[in-house]
Amino acid sequence: MRSLSNYQVSDRLPSREWVPSNVQIRQYAEASGDFNPIHLDDNYARQVGLGGMIAHGMLTMAQMAAMLSEWIGKEGRISKLDVRFEQVVRPGDTIRFGGSVSARSGNIIVCDLEALNVKEERVLTGLTHIIQQ
Amino acid sequence: MIGKGFIGRESESVVLKIKMEEVRRFADAIGIPFEGEVPVTYIGTLLQPNIPGFDLTNPGMIHGEQKISYQRQLLVGDTLTFKSVIKDVYERTSKLGKMLFVVLETTGYDLAGDLVFSSSSTLITPTKGDVDEESV
Repeated sequence: MRSLSNYQVSDRLPSREWVPSNVQIRQYAEASGDFNPIHLDDNYARQVGLGGMIAHGMLTMAQMAAMLSEWIGKEGRISKLDVRFEQVVRPGDTIRFGGSVSARSGNIIVCDLEALNVKEERVLTGLTHIIQQ
Repeated sequence: MIGKGFIGRESESVVLKIKMEEVRRFADAIGIPFEGEVPVTYIGTLLQPNIPGFDLTNPGMIHGEQKISYQRQLLVGDTLTFKSVIKDVYERTSKLGKMLFVVLETTGYDLAGDLVFSSSSTLITPTKGDVDEESV
């Protein structure tokens, strides 16, 4: 596997694909304690104008963090993860997570992040700081 | 209705231990192997503060932004004291109409009193024009 030390500015990070299911969203509600009905009740989500159930933003963010953890392994740790939820993610959507190195300073690697749906719409954008250990 | 007057409102401090079985359940739910490390977004499970008058399950409230910073790695077995405060409340008009933005900041300290993490959540609610303009 390519070492973190070899990543330079503008290099792409290994990507990750994810398809949330209703089962996973319910599991996440139970594990996180976030039972907001917009994630669990399709009728409710329609009534409040969301057009149907949506995945928790924090579940989508967790998938981005998982992509980063897979990439850095034991060579680094995430010291900062900032994201913006740009579009809703629904059960059954295929989401592709990716990113690239935007800066390196000492033992810190700064990366720009994004997640796209199959329509190539950005559902999440953000940045992370990885501390190489 | 929440307005600018809510800025500065705090939750009580809560002391919580990071438990192996809860972190494992969280890792299972997000679909990653659990190898003893606490996933970065696990602290999201702590961010449901009891702030008087502020309800995270307001109809249609969605999550706009989330920022998490760690001063050090959070470990299973750590005991944290955490607290949330409403940092900002403002209104914006988007293509979907008037929206109310609430910025909630949460910090977690270890038993030595050192900051472990800070988190900022921006929560968005459609106002449908029923907000008292002067209160926002």
